[in-house]
Amino acid sequence: MEQPVMGGDDYIISAERLEKTYPGNLKALDDFTVRVKRGEVVVVVGPSGSGKSTFLRCLNGLEEIDSGSITVDGIPLDDREEHRLEIRREVGMVFQAFNLFPHMTVLENVNLAQQLVRRRSRSEATEFSLALLDKVGVSEKARVYPDALSGGQQQRVAIARALALMPKVMLFDEATSALDPEMIGEVLDVMRSLAGEGMTMVVVTHEMGFAREVSDRVVFMEQGRIVEEAATATFFTAPARKRTRDFLRQIL
Amino acid sequence: MHQRPLKFSLLDYTLLALLLSAAGYITFRITVQLEYNWNWSVIPQYLFRYDQEQGRWVANYLVDGLITTLRLSLWSSLLAMVLGLFMVLARTSSSLFLQLVSRCYIELMRNLPPLVLIFICYFFLADQILPRLGLETLVAEGPEWLTGMVGWCFGQPSSLVPFCSALLTLAIFESAYVAEIFRSGIESVSRHQWEAAHALGLRRHQALIHVILPQAFRRVLPPLAGQLISLIKDSAIVSVISIQELTYQGTQLMASTYLTIEVWITIAAMYLLLTFPCSMAVGWLERRYRRRRV
Ligand SMILES: Nc1ncnc2c1ncn2[C@@H]1O[C@H](COP(=O)(O)OP(=O)(O)OP(=O)(O)O)[C@@H](O)[C@H]1O
Ligand SMILES: [Mg+2]
Repeated sequence: MEQPVMGGDDYIISAERLEKTYPGNLKALDDFTVRVKRGEVVVVVGPSGSGKSTFLRCLNGLEEIDSGSITVDGIPLDDREEHRLEIRREVGMVFQAFNLFPHMTVLENVNLAQQLVRRRSRSEATEFSLALLDKVGVSEKARVYPDALSGGQQQRVAIARALALMPKVMLFDEATSALDPEMIGEVLDVMRSLAGEGMTMVVVTHEMGFAREVSDRVVFMEQGRIVEEAATATFFTAPARKRTRDFLRQIL
Repeated sequence: MHQRPLKFSLLDYTLLALLLSAAGYITFRITVQLEYNWNWSVIPQYLFRYDQEQGRWVANYLVDGLITTLRLSLWSSLLAMVLGLFMVLARTSSSLFLQLVSRCYIELMRNLPPLVLIFICYFFLADQILPRLGLETLVAEGPEWLTGMVGWCFGQPSSLVPFCSALLTLAIFESAYVAEIFRSGIESVSRHQWEAAHALGLRRHQALIHVILPQAFRRVLPPLAGQLISLIKDSAIVSVISIQELTYQGTQLMASTYLTIEVWITIAAMYLLLTFPCSMAVGWLERRYRRRRV
């Protein structure tokens, strides 16, 4: 199902001039504009509390923006519930805390949205789910409950679950931050291969090695504003702003 | 869960000794000086009696009452769960109107003495509404299997209307508490579970049905079972509107035999027979879920 590309550009995500203030807080997003091309991998970095999660959560309507506009694959995120649902079908999201459904087996976790949202039969869904679980390397755990899995396995299941709707965009919010160090690699591998297949990805991460190797572009934000936005190589080797250099010195 | 072994100190021994001597003294006074003619031998005939016509043993007042209490508790707890679920869905819905309605309902039920509620509901339901529905004739003239089934589930057709209004009243009353228990269960499910469900494109009701409620239900099972036990106890209150359940039979029997203490001790034992296994089951459930940390 190809959506007509609006305005002639091939941005799959355009987030224009977003403003977002939580009650009793500084601005979490402040005049924040990011556009993402099809197949592009964009990494968002910034200090804690700078609004990275807020940005991702606004992109699929988990959080309401105060003003600005968001368009995903030609669908405007507006007051219409149908638009919001349509966007969520096109956008998969992976959370820091995995958020698997603990009362369902791994397979049921991956099946659920296919059956409810895509209206696939159980057997169709199962077939696709098993293929996805195989792809992320946890197919032998299909029939167990999430609490019997390691953190790395849970996060890979969560990725499979997000992929089950065949989204056009994947959002990763610190997908490896809650993992023991020895499990970070296996999750990054899955993300790397997704990027290799041409998936459009917006990734919030502290893994600078991964960002450097996989991403096309880096957005550095602070206090809800973009400090610097550059192609990955430029960002790491020749950042324009002093604030960026300080930040990089801190984390590298 | 590790249990600390019980350790007795001098103080504990002293207290224990005091309690024991007090109990001993009271027992002594009762057995030696109480002017009461114990007569336990007549009690069993009120449990079961031999029916000459049918030539077999049948339940008498007390066991009849026990069965009525059981029926009443069972049906009203089922109904209370259904009503409670509706109320909590309204309470947590996004419609302000539904929220207000359920909020009023729950607060009203929780802040009225149950006895007052019973009288209001009973005279409203049993006198005004239920008779107009023609339930009795429907059952009486219906096919035999219907009459049989209704009899098995709700007792004699003649007392169907009062029984149903008592059942409804209890259910309405308990459903407010059940709703609050459900609500605490729903709120105990992490916000992240809602978000994960929404991020997958599930609608609100789909998230509720498939993700939130199953988890909430597991968590509220122990308090819910506790509430249902207290429903068994609360059902005694409908004796004031002459439903022939256990407590009502007790008052009748007491009036005709004057065996006050024997009758009520027997009735207490019969209530325990119903509630104690339930308490054990609740304890078992709690231990099980604590182990599994659902
Ligand atoms: N639900 C909320 N209610 C109120 N304030 C919030 C809420 N969520 C986030 N904030 C605030 O908004 C700001 C941005 O938060 P956000 O979680 O987007 O930052 P972040 O860049 O993801 O940080 P981290 O690296 O710690 O995850 C912070 O100041 C935070 O305290
Ligand atoms: Mg965050």
